[in-house]
Amino acid sequence: MTTLDIAVPVPTRRPADRETYLNIAWTVKSWALTTDHKRIGILYLVTTIFTLSLGGVFALVLRTEHLSPGPTIIDAYTYNRMFTMHGIVMVWLFMIPSIPTAFGNFLLPIMIGAKDVAFPRLNLLSYYIYLVGSLWVVIALWAGGCDTGWTFYSPYSDHSPSAVVPTVFGIFILGWSTIITGVNFIVTTHTMRAKGVGWFRMPLFVWTMYGVSIIQTLATPVLAISLLIVGVDHWFDWGLFDPARGGDPVLYQHLFWFYSHPAVYIMILPAMGVIIEVVCTFSHKNPASYKAIAYSTLGIAFVGFATWGHHMFVAGISTFDAASFGVLSMLVAIFSAIKVFTWVLTMRRGSVVVTTPMLYFFAFLFLFVFGGMTGVAVATQSLDVHWHDTYFIVAHFHFIMIGGTLTAWLAALHYWFPKITGRMYPERLGYVGATLVFSGFFMTFFPQFLLGNAGMPRRYYDYDPKFQPLMVISTVGSWILGAAMIWTLAYLLVALFKGARAPANPWDSRSYEWLTPSPPPKHNFFREPVFTRDPYDYTVPAEEIRA
Amino acid sequence: MPSPAAHPVSVGEQWEDMEKQAHAARFGMWVFLGTEVLFFSGLFALYTAYRIEHPSGFDVGVEHNTIVYGSVNTAVLLVSSYFVALAVHELRLGRNRVSGWLVALTILFGLGFLGIKTAEYLHHFSDGIFPGGSGHFFEEHTEPGIKMFYTLYFCMTGLHAIHVFVGCCVLGFMLWKISRREIGAWAPHPLAIAAIYWHLVDVIWIFLWPLFYLVPGRAG
Amino acid sequence: MKEPSPRALLLTLLVLLMLAGASLVFRFAHLGDFSFLVALGIALIKAILVATVFMEITLEKPTVRFAFAACLSLFALMLSLLVADVLTRSPAPLGPPPGTEARYKG
Repeated sequence: MTTLDIAVPVPTRRPADRETYLNIAWTVKSWALTTDHKRIGILYLVTTIFTLSLGGVFALVLRTEHLSPGPTIIDAYTYNRMFTMHGIVMVWLFMIPSIPTAFGNFLLPIMIGAKDVAFPRLNLLSYYIYLVGSLWVVIALWAGGCDTGWTFYSPYSDHSPSAVVPTVFGIFILGWSTIITGVNFIVTTHTMRAKGVGWFRMPLFVWTMYGVSIIQTLATPVLAISLLIVGVDHWFDWGLFDPARGGDPVLYQHLFWFYSHPAVYIMILPAMGVIIEVVCTFSHKNPASYKAIAYSTLGIAFVGFATWGHHMFVAGISTFDAASFGVLSMLVAIFSAIKVFTWVLTMRRGSVVVTTPMLYFFAFLFLFVFGGMTGVAVATQSLDVHWHDTYFIVAHFHFIMIGGTLTAWLAALHYWFPKITGRMYPERLGYVGATLVFSGFFMTFFPQFLLGNAGMPRRYYDYDPKFQPLMVISTVGSWILGAAMIWTLAYLLVALFKGARAPANPWDSRSYEWLTPSPPPKHNFFREPVFTRDPYDYTVPAEEIRA
Repeated sequence: MPSPAAHPVSVGEQWEDMEKQAHAARFGMWVFLGTEVLFFSGLFALYTAYRIEHPSGFDVGVEHNTIVYGSVNTAVLLVSSYFVALAVHELRLGRNRVSGWLVALTILFGLGFLGIKTAEYLHHFSDGIFPGGSGHFFEEHTEPGIKMFYTLYFCMTGLHAIHVFVGCCVLGFMLWKISRREIGAWAPHPLAIAAIYWHLVDVIWIFLWPLFYLVPGRAG
Repeated sequence: MKEPSPRALLLTLLVLLMLAGASLVFRFAHLGDFSFLVALGIALIKAILVATVFMEITLEKPTVRFAFAACLSLFALMLSLLVADVLTRSPAPLGPPPGTEARYKG
């Protein structure tokens, strides 16, 4: 294992001495009306950090409430609204945008050698739509929030006394941002690759941005119509799922999950893209199989659409449908498995450097595989009958969402910190943060598998006192996780101003974004780039960039 | 060919030439049309499922709908599609004036569609048919599924009408650009992509018409 | 294939209107179970005409056509499994599962 002395960056011209996308203009207007994909990425990054914090605060309140059975710090109605808004804020205001809008926006054009995305003004519009949608959800919070669960099931959502309509309206608006970003990335990837950047010769992160864009563009309209119907049924009492008027509530679930299952792939695919980049760079090796990652990305994107009914095994769907969905759900797991094997095999015969992003990768590997296997378990209909709507499911998806997506988001934040800010983060503080995040997370959610298997239902305010010990462990874990997040964001904030100046390529990577200075100039490259080398060719030394 | 205006559509700095920009714009619009299809998909799926569950109510609903409204509207949209397709052809040849008039005709026909639809809705209301199954019509007609038929009818044709309205606005914006010579023979693609949006709105109606006006079920 | 001429556009419109007329005629023909197939079949032909002649989808690059086709396939996927559910449900049982009656007394 070689060490890379990253505490001492290669001397380079200070960014103050040359033009970067940051110092080219300092006015509020230059940020508010920017069409530069890098600045838009930063706008999204800052906003998603706020939404992550908001969702996190809700989580901490929920867990603290569960320190004891019965009322602890909030009442039952507040509890219901809080877990609903926690889910909504985390899924739509954080998870779905997190990696694509921040890192995808920043890096996609650079990685393919383009000056910007295909539709820069639409890109800015997508940010403002996201902002308005998010603010609308915050307004809904002020109006008391919604208590239906983030899934808005009919018939309860038709009659709930809580703020259903403002909530669904906010998410409806947010959906348009997702669709616009998706269209932008798809067209950009197809039409703007520079000379030398073939489909099988571009950084794999681009493949996952492309894959996630396909899913989010095609799935989100179905969410839009589902939420529109919820809103209309609630406000005007049109009863589209009301059995008394010929309706069928299970059909709502079909429409909702047709979107929401692909939505979980929207949340995990970008994370997988970050992971392959981190693994290759810090193993100083090319991927064990480029095509395996590329094709499995497409496999997840398309087959992921066919599995939605596994959320409805006990809802009353027919045996034929349940069986079909069960089989299809098993199939889609194969693609994730292919990726896991590829990541691990990539490290073999590599020159592994353990940096903070790499620590996050190790956490990801363990937690994602663990969570993924429990996913295969619950896709087994006979087992799901026991585990559905228990803490087992809650633990499963948090292992993927936090153990997978959030971990990868943290890895991305550290890995690309030098590129985006031009500064290095403090590595040892990063090690502490990663360890705390992993420990806090595991302590919070592993007990929930045991709780769920023992019969603890999800979304319940009260619980049998026999569950209290595990509940308390889980709550303490959540406090550690919260502290770890604050720790991480704190040192990153300080590093923003006080970190050591970063060279163009502090990690000695071969990926294309490292071929331009840190931070990049406004048009990404000083000259029209022609890429003569593979982004994973570690058999030759990295090109030196004179900034 | 008359010269372009002071601020004509030009090639953005991220593109090499107009052709690439035009292709990207068309690609983007086709993907967006795909999302519109998926947006309506849920409602078409609901219609199918509910029709299977309640064939009698749906048949009565179709029988009761006034076929003249639906059929005239079908013709109106088909003709409007023809006008806008011709407008694109004329713009490609640089004939902005003719193109402008054709786009104006398209908008007029679109507004005509909305007018007929409004009249039809008012007719339904006077019959006592309201969405959600309220209204005295449903006291006389109690076939299972009749309420759902009409709720779906208002939902799907209403959503479609909103899209017709948006299409008129988009075409109006294009008309403005055409008249100011901001688009023309060197860059006809903004009108072309607005036109294909209009055509999709037409195609959606092509499918709504039989579902709500033409198809009697097994009982018919 | 190049962009359609004004003649082709007008001809297409006339065919579309004729097909619409045919749909109307079939509406009153009492085809029973076939009415769905006929009406939607004609609608499909009209849609294809609009897509190929008016929207010029055949002139677009294969990627664009594939993208739109993907959207249509997803619609088909949604429709098929949703409708399959409704079609293949068995009727609800009239009583508790055998041997469990004791649980539901009183």
